[in-house]
Amino acid sequence: MSSHAIREPGGAGKRPRWLQHSDLALRGISLGYIGLFVALPIVALTTRACGGGLHRVWEEMTRPEALFSLRLTLMMAAAMMIINVLMGTLTAWVLVRYRFPAQSVVNALIDLPFAIPTVVTGLMLVVLYGPQSSIGTFLSAHGVEVIYAKPGIVLALLFVTSPFVVRAVQPVLMELDRDMEEAAATLGARRWTVFRKVILPSIFPAVLTGAALSFSRALGEFGSVVMVAGNIPMRTQVASVFIYGEVESDNPLGALGVSVILLAGSLIVLIALNLLQRLGRKRDE
Amino acid sequence: MHRTGGIGLQWFSMILTLFLAIGFWGCGKKGNENVTHSDTLVLAAYTVPKEAYEKEIIPAFQNHWRETTGREVTVQQSYEASGAQTRAVLGGFEADVVALSLEGDVDKIAAAGLINHDWKNRPWRGFVTRSVVAIGCRAGNPKNIQGWEDLTREDIEVLYPNPKTSGGAMWCVNAIYGAGLKMSEKKTGRADPGFARDLLKRIQRRVKVMDKSGRLSVTTFERGVGDAILTYENEILLRRIQGREFPLLIPESTILIENPIAVVDKNADRHGVRELAEAFVLFCHTDEAQRAYARYGFRPAHPEILKEFSEIYPDPPLLFDIDYLGGWTQVRKDIYGRGGIWTRITQELAEE
Repeated sequence: MSSHAIREPGGAGKRPRWLQHSDLALRGISLGYIGLFVALPIVALTTRACGGGLHRVWEEMTRPEALFSLRLTLMMAAAMMIINVLMGTLTAWVLVRYRFPAQSVVNALIDLPFAIPTVVTGLMLVVLYGPQSSIGTFLSAHGVEVIYAKPGIVLALLFVTSPFVVRAVQPVLMELDRDMEEAAATLGARRWTVFRKVILPSIFPAVLTGAALSFSRALGEFGSVVMVAGNIPMRTQVASVFIYGEVESDNPLGALGVSVILLAGSLIVLIALNLLQRLGRKRDE
Repeated sequence: MHRTGGIGLQWFSMILTLFLAIGFWGCGKKGNENVTHSDTLVLAAYTVPKEAYEKEIIPAFQNHWRETTGREVTVQQSYEASGAQTRAVLGGFEADVVALSLEGDVDKIAAAGLINHDWKNRPWRGFVTRSVVAIGCRAGNPKNIQGWEDLTREDIEVLYPNPKTSGGAMWCVNAIYGAGLKMSEKKTGRADPGFARDLLKRIQRRVKVMDKSGRLSVTTFERGVGDAILTYENEILLRRIQGREFPLLIPESTILIENPIAVVDKNADRHGVRELAEAFVLFCHTDEAQRAYARYGFRPAHPEILKEFSEIYPDPPLLFDIDYLGGWTQVRKDIYGRGGIWTRITQELAEE
């Protein structure tokens, strides 16, 4: 890291001993911290799930209601992710490249979903699209069901995860060198071509990060979805609500089984993202 | 970089909150230890009778305790869904007395060794209140709902919570299934499980939302969803006490619900409040407390007091209780277990 190089006198010389020790301590603390607060609960959950006998967990996982809830969760999260990638990138673009009144307010608004309790999110959506609202009445008169149906789930997930893509893409766009774009434009490239050939490759890793984070976040979302989904088994019940039901009805094994699948899903997405980014970096070099 | 800044701030505030929480916790503990001149009782109850305890029974008990012993008593109250409350007590929440909605929940606490007396060896087998599953409908009953069969109509949307998360919803499903048995028995002289299952399936088909608790289900209904709601009679009566128009229909056949109360021996002894806890449980059985429950929508367990209120609490002709369906263990397995009646019905409906 460049900051070290500046601090060290004589550049490439050996670093003083106390610095090495404190480095070790820092690393130890941060790894221990992650281990204690992140890894340990996950390990505990997984060992509990496997402790009850793997075949029992497997039986629980493959129940039709469990499989259905997992499939629904994945589908809803995927739908959310596609919208989020498109609209999030667009929003970041507008925030970075355009100046308009109340821009700082809009910029602050982006983070708001992280600060709102998810139950409140659910409530807001019900108030807005529910049967007592004018929008809800209008929509249901035209045969469109939002609340207590799948669109409501996607809306809730979108609200909860919307900051991820914007906040991942925004800083990259800000640091983007505009000379390249101008050069491309001078050479006669149209705006769309400039975007596709110059801008997109640079922001792609960031878009991917945002997408993956929002996807894994959506897999576990409970508070808002339980309010808007309808929660009917095999129709509108997502995995997190299924898990909650199993916990409530004294079937921890059923809850653990599906939880482990959700965890594995998130882990796979995040690892895949890491690999993709590493590949991208290699290509750049 | 905006992003790292935001996350740093998040962590900072989270850690700050944690410290504050620990701080407050510490304060709370100290505060309690200082108060030695007064007695403290910890009551863990389910949510529905909250108003009855808060506004009438606990103040009356405090007076009663002052008159008989000359001491002040503070009752620390916690209200949670019955299942969540049970798990809290099992997980270490040191309640001296539990008042729950399901007999099975008290049994669980007993099975964990926290209750070691025969809690049913009290007036009315340890139950303090009763209720029935009722049908609530919209003001003026615009869809003219008269009984179970009407809930199967195509123009009707029905609400009840999810039996997986709500003890109340299990009562609803039990009520429909049992009513099916009773009604077929009345017609043909023989209880017909096929008819009961079919009735349950036809009503479940009309269910629009399954909330996670009975309370939430009523809230959803009041928000304008659905034409009819299945819930405890007392839940609807409570809304009426609060001044809302909420027509209530008690079907010809429905299930009787009984709510238990018990001293948690281990905790009461550890806190040295056994006498106080016993006195509270006994007080809940007195005429005074029984009338208070009745005013808040509960059928009193006391048969004489129930008679006083017979106008508000009519007896449905084909009333049955959980034993008619074979008891809780049987019902959990036959109706809600894997391959159980309700489980299968939801699967079949998904395939339609």
